[in-house]
Amino acid sequence: MKRLGLFVAVVAVVGAGSAWFAIYVPRSPFDGEARPAPGPLERGEYVARLSDCVACHTTERGKPFAGGLAMGTPLGAIYTTNITPDKQTGIGNYTLADFDNAVRRGVRADGARLYPAMPHPSYAKMSDDDIRALYDYVMNHVQPVSQPNRPADIAWPLNMRWPLAFWNAAFTEPGTYQAKMAGDDLWNRGAYLVQGPGHCGSCHTPRGLAIQEVALDERDPRYLSGALLDGWYAPSLRNDHNTGLGRWTEDDIVTYLKDGRNQHGVVFGSMMEAFNNSTQYMSDTDLKGIARYLKSLPGDRTRDGEPWQYQPVAAAAPRSAGQAIYASQCATCHGADGRGRAEWIAPLAGASSLLAPDPASAINITLNGAGRVVADGVTDAYRMPSLRSKLSDQQIAEVLTYVRATWGNHAAPVTEQAVKALRAHTDPASPDPIILQMR
Amino acid sequence: MQLTINGQSHQVEIEPDTPLLWVLRDTLGLTGTKYGCGLAQCGACTVLIDGQATRACVTPIESVAGTEIVTIEAITGDAEGRRVVEAWVDHQVPQCGYCQSGQVMAATALLKQTPQPTEEDIAAAMINLCRCGTYNAIASAVRQAAKV
Repeated sequence: MKRLGLFVAVVAVVGAGSAWFAIYVPRSPFDGEARPAPGPLERGEYVARLSDCVACHTTERGKPFAGGLAMGTPLGAIYTTNITPDKQTGIGNYTLADFDNAVRRGVRADGARLYPAMPHPSYAKMSDDDIRALYDYVMNHVQPVSQPNRPADIAWPLNMRWPLAFWNAAFTEPGTYQAKMAGDDLWNRGAYLVQGPGHCGSCHTPRGLAIQEVALDERDPRYLSGALLDGWYAPSLRNDHNTGLGRWTEDDIVTYLKDGRNQHGVVFGSMMEAFNNSTQYMSDTDLKGIARYLKSLPGDRTRDGEPWQYQPVAAAAPRSAGQAIYASQCATCHGADGRGRAEWIAPLAGASSLLAPDPASAINITLNGAGRVVADGVTDAYRMPSLRSKLSDQQIAEVLTYVRATWGNHAAPVTEQAVKALRAHTDPASPDPIILQMR
Repeated sequence: MQLTINGQSHQVEIEPDTPLLWVLRDTLGLTGTKYGCGLAQCGACTVLIDGQATRACVTPIESVAGTEIVTIEAITGDAEGRRVVEAWVDHQVPQCGYCQSGQVMAATALLKQTPQPTEEDIAAAMINLCRCGTYNAIASAVRQAAKV
């Protein structure tokens, strides 16, 4: 009887503790701080650019920061929220501490936990100064928009948010970014930007069973090692010779993030969004820091395979079906030699997206074409067209198999089934498309 | 930027990503090369770059500095080109004519690379679009031009 009483007491205490843990509002360094006076626009706007808030909190034709973008999850779609300073439908009543808890800890002002579609595991590393500047920007410089949030399509009981508190406990690391002695100032600035506001790992780091990023910084060799997300394969940002940044210099990385292109390739897929809204606005010093940091991440030869080297096509080689399609559909721009045209038209020879183990990006851009790259207010002159209605699944599989195995490229063949599946998923007219762009 | 077009050297001051077609037509007034789709799909803008048929609408000029560019204006100065044009006249190929300068350039490039093309070679190389449907006349003219 006594033991049963003890057991009940323990259960009650653990239960109450867990319940408290699942809904409590964590402490913020800004607790009790009065609303700060408006600061200069440029300071907060820059942090908003670094963090690329607009990418998710704005729809294509919607008002800036008013939310409403659907994001697919395995449980159903969720919709991004209105983060304009509107008092009824936005976050106009948020204190700096409330805002901090949402951005860095994934907790809403009412204690509800945010879905980790919000990259708060990355934003957790942002500095107090940057959070304060971002709050100033959102509250004082963003136009309030009255637009109610759309509830998620997730049904009861899976729509209960309290279990996310335990997800947070397991998969996030508290505390802001702490400079590491091993790196210089530039490296540390880059590490801060990549891990924190830039949240590069949200796309480029593989995810585990609970859709958590398997690593949040460079201590784990899987960090930024490439991942498949919503029909695009975000390549490795480590020093992998074939599938990563192994053949890029620091300057190449800076040029890519600043101009959207370099001699290795042009931004496309989700990276086009990140470039259009975020990376091109970063300062040269910040871009150099990012490049310095990324170049410090070692590659993995076992995963990456034999180092790629250019090999010309033998003139006498028998003409395969894929080669014939390439000659008529692709060679006019990308060249019979696969080398593209300067930095304006991407080379296919040695392209990391073609050497990647997963052909999703290659299939996706062949089916759907490239989006609009806007550099410094000017749209791109050359854009990959959509070949969805021009080529069959079999033809796309044949031509991609050819380009993945030519000019020294040595990646696995592409199957007709893989093309068929992605064609259905990315069809805007299909009843159940996946979200084409992870934003 | 220095461009060699039809054997003549031209100095142009223009953004490096400008399509060659723009430079030919707007800057240099060589309007024989036509604008069709602007997407490398139709072939109306085909020119020769170092003897290769190339679609000028998707060719940034930065990438052709230092090459030999030949357009329809100078095609009869070329041995194969002359034969192609004569065959075109013999077969009265054009109807509206808009795509024909591109067709002639594509045929010339084919004969330069493959002097005795098979039917398959012709079908594989002559992929420019013609909305008048002159494809049969084009194939006959190419066959004649290939017979020396």
